[in-house]
Amino acid sequence: MNRWHQRIDNWLTNHLKLPSDVVLELPRVTTIGQFHAYIENHQGLIIFNEDEIQLKMSKGKLKITGRNFVIKTLLPEEILIEGIISTISYVTQ
Amino acid sequence: MNNIQATWFRGYVQIQVVGYHPELFFDLCVRNNINVWHIKKIDQTHCLGNIYIHDIKNMRKLRKQTRYKISFIEKKGIPFICKRTTANKPFVLGLIASLLLIILLSNMVWKINIEGVRPEIEKQIRTTLDENGIYVGKLKFSIQSVGDMQQLLLDEIPELLWVGVKEQGTTYALEGVEKTQVSEREQPSPHDIIAAKSGVITEMYVSKGRPLVDLNDYVKKGDKLVAADLSQGKEEAEEEEDTSNKNQVAAQADIYADTWYESNVTIPLEADYQTLSGEMTSKYFINWGKIALPIWGFFQQEFEQSQAEIEKKSIHFFQWELPINIIRKDTYEQRHVQEKRTLAEAKTAGISQAKKNLLQQLGREAEIKSEKILHETSENGKVKLRLYFTVKENIAKIQDLSQGD
Repeated sequence: MNRWHQRIDNWLTNHLKLPSDVVLELPRVTTIGQFHAYIENHQGLIIFNEDEIQLKMSKGKLKITGRNFVIKTLLPEEILIEGIISTISYVTQ
Repeated sequence: MNNIQATWFRGYVQIQVVGYHPELFFDLCVRNNINVWHIKKIDQTHCLGNIYIHDIKNMRKLRKQTRYKISFIEKKGIPFICKRTTANKPFVLGLIASLLLIILLSNMVWKINIEGVRPEIEKQIRTTLDENGIYVGKLKFSIQSVGDMQQLLLDEIPELLWVGVKEQGTTYALEGVEKTQVSEREQPSPHDIIAAKSGVITEMYVSKGRPLVDLNDYVKKGDKLVAADLSQGKEEAEEEEDTSNKNQVAAQADIYADTWYESNVTIPLEADYQTLSGEMTSKYFINWGKIALPIWGFFQQEFEQSQAEIEKKSIHFFQWELPINIIRKDTYEQRHVQEKRTLAEAKTAGISQAKKNLLQQLGREAEIKSEKILHETSENGKVKLRLYFTVKENIAKIQDLSQGD
């Protein structure tokens, strides 16, 4: 069933040109230079430090490292981070 | 993003969360529809963040379910400023008092400029204005309108030909034009006096000229009464050829004669009209848009039938006109009068009315000597009268010689 679902979603994105983040429930990460990172479709905050942020995703985690992090806005599914970003990485379990 | 706007207007607080993984408390807040922004981590156990004032209650409820400790660091925004200023009563009172003072001063007469007239007339204008309550320091609400002021000045000061009053903020600029008085009367050109109306002469006062008629003479309209020519009418032809004006004067005379008039009047036997009894009350309102707040003139008697007059005066703040008006409402008592007249009453009423009309036509000098009812009919509740008047009036009328041809 779940595999079916995934196949249909993949087909939808490929053939109907629907945005993949909406259909596949994946995060959309927008960065502006090093200073801002805007993440949509996250599912919660796991860790927040001055130099590291970890966000819960539908599958796995999103890890951002850098310096002087400040959360500018925090909404149920969106987050805007300000600071100096050095890496963005996905951690799958 | 839309939820975090106008933070300063809505008011917000910075809170500090202390505990193990303090950022997770903010995450919890967000999941419970509390907006959070500007989250900063100071160290492992301390975290700062901003929330709206109206979310504080919900935040406290959430906190009870957890083990975090919360303290308020800063309070920012208009609600706090309001609280602080209202708590400072002398400041608020001073602010209100100064605003009121400015409004009061903005609605005062500060200056009355008068231009275009001689100092004597200027002084006269000032005293007239003073007597009628227009002077420096007077509030503008109680001052009549510019048009009334002009009329007043023209009525009171006969030397003024025209006066223009302009209201310029807190000053009144008056511009006057004086009548230029002719100091010497021009030598009048020789003229005769003729009869303006037909009548029987009753009195004659001839100061200049040669009278051609006598008392109790009947004269027709246009008849020559007093001649400019003093040379007794002899050798008239010769006189006319001789263009010298030596023997001709400007005739001057008052000639009173009995003249006759007929007039028709119709008087209804039943009269039904409205009059003002003279009783009146004034009320004052402050008006803002559609709202009118009474401020003066409570507990006055109400009239059954009334007629109201409303006068609006706007309030100024410096040079700007505020949307607030002061309204004066004058209510006059009205009376409905129903009268039934007898035939005799109707007749006297008709006669007096006809007399009034006639005197209005003839002017003040005329005098009605007698009246007679020529014909009288009464039908459909109306009395019709045909009246005959004998009037004593001045019938002298100047006629220039050159026009006489």
